[in-house]
Amino acid sequence: MSVVVTPEMIGQVVISGILSGALYAMVALGLALIFGVMRVINIAHGPLLMLGAYVTFFLYSRTGMNPFLTVPLAMAALFVVGVLLQRTLVFRVVDAPELSSLLLTFGISIALVNVAQNLFTSDLRAVEYITGSWSVGGVALSKPRFIAFVFALAVTGAAFLFLKTTRLGKAIRATSQSREVALVCGIDVGRIHMLTFGLASALAAGGGALLAVIVAIQPEMGGVWTFKSFLVIVLGGAGNYPGALLGGLLLGLVEQLASLFLTTQLSEVVAYVLLVLVLLVRPTGLLGGRQT
Amino acid sequence: MRLSPAVVLPALAVVLAALVLYPFVGTGYGVRAMLQIFMWIALAGSWNLISGLTGYVSFGHVAFFGAGAYTGAILVASAGWSWPVAALAGGIAAALLALLIGYPCLRLKGPYFAIAMLGLNEVLRALVSYFEGLTGGGNGLSLPTLDATRAIYYVMGVLAVAVTAMTYAIITSRFGLRLMTIREDEIAAEAMGIDTFHHKLAAFLLSAVGPGIAGALTARDQGYIEPLSVFPLAITVTMIVMVLFGGKGTVWGPVLGAAALFVIQEIVWARYPYVHPLLFGAIIVAVVLLMPRGVLGLLQLKYRLPRTI
Repeated sequence: MSVVVTPEMIGQVVISGILSGALYAMVALGLALIFGVMRVINIAHGPLLMLGAYVTFFLYSRTGMNPFLTVPLAMAALFVVGVLLQRTLVFRVVDAPELSSLLLTFGISIALVNVAQNLFTSDLRAVEYITGSWSVGGVALSKPRFIAFVFALAVTGAAFLFLKTTRLGKAIRATSQSREVALVCGIDVGRIHMLTFGLASALAAGGGALLAVIVAIQPEMGGVWTFKSFLVIVLGGAGNYPGALLGGLLLGLVEQLASLFLTTQLSEVVAYVLLVLVLLVRPTGLLGGRQT
Repeated sequence: MRLSPAVVLPALAVVLAALVLYPFVGTGYGVRAMLQIFMWIALAGSWNLISGLTGYVSFGHVAFFGAGAYTGAILVASAGWSWPVAALAGGIAAALLALLIGYPCLRLKGPYFAIAMLGLNEVLRALVSYFEGLTGGGNGLSLPTLDATRAIYYVMGVLAVAVTAMTYAIITSRFGLRLMTIREDEIAAEAMGIDTFHHKLAAFLLSAVGPGIAGALTARDQGYIEPLSVFPLAITVTMIVMVLFGGKGTVWGPVLGAAALFVIQEIVWARYPYVHPLLFGAIIVAVVLLMPRGVLGLLQLKYRLPRTI
């Protein structure tokens, strides 16, 4: 298959890659937080994103609310869900072998998807609020994607600011560096864990809410997001929060680049091959692993 | 009460003899149900090798089932192989796939393997749909008609026995002890001089062969496969639930779990198909939190059975 690549096509790839990369970074930051603080890989991360998407869909279709204004509401709702999950189930496996936390969150994940299938049906749902695109120098800039990009940047930026400057954010980072020392310093580690899980679920929900404006949603949309978020973390280096940003942008670019040459049917294959290659060549991630 | 070999071995022989004679007296439905139970014992027992025994969770074991199904079906339909040979080829194809995934992912400790397996069945499904020329794509692949249910019953039965016997052989060997050491503490295992990477890889390859053969046999039995029917996440979920419910890391846990869950599924849950995954999710959560050693763990406690058999 020969493809003639024009400068416009390259520009299109870069723009689209950056636009979707910001979303990847935002969602993956949530998974990275839980992994960093609790050493738990939350398989239910994608299904939590799916729930966030449905909050936006129902608020939009029932009340006609501007879908972009529902983003904070979806995040708040899933923050509560996340805190409850941590409080009732996940805290029991934080110190258990990895097998337990993987299986537990996997069980939660298939239960959440099934609940969504029963409550919301498996129909594809779409929020058709803004459509169309701007044309910038021969490159098409999709309107909903661009606005979602701005929101994702804002939320991710706010999350970093929170982690960097506030006392609670510092407490989260301290717990992620060493739980024992954090305890000795008087940090309520159990509370930090709940907060982290809530925050991570909110980030996933924000991603889902923005996604609902861009693509059609359905209960099984989440699985691939758990996988891609993990890939973003691996690309950036596990436990390295700024790395998630780089990893997200990189995944977005690679996927868009691949779509130039392959059908979109194979986009998941591309992400998978990327994961296997990174694990083979540089398993500590591009920016290096956990800083201690 | 202690179970001695003098009691267990004759009992096992009686059960096996009954299963051998069953197709001559059983109803069509009964034989088909037993065939399914054999398949689930083989699948659950295989998952148990890498996840129960070695502690590396495989969330995509159905990929080996599907890979075996497609390999077997293509060899039968296009190359005209006889189905028992094609089934063996399905097992080999699954092991090769396991080598491809296991080599990069098992060199590392931690969750990398679990996540890589999480995406594997989706990837294979996409690939199978894409290469239509070979696989028939979304239209599926039909095999020449052949009534071999009874023969497949015996072969699947042998597979179930073989996987269980292999588990017994591994658990009672030094190889099995090393795998369990990796599960309990991988760093300590390394410090004791165990080549953890090659042990994990060997366990993973062995765990892929059974599902590969089972997939090829199922494809032959059903006569038609399509991407959606041989790569569903539900098959992986069922394997996991069966092993956890029965008792992970043991010889009889997967057998017990497969038989018990299949029967419960047929009698009770067939009426509530819509909440099936919810129930399975709830069982996983409940077993992990409340009885991590499964039903067999409770029995072992009560009857003072050996902890790993």
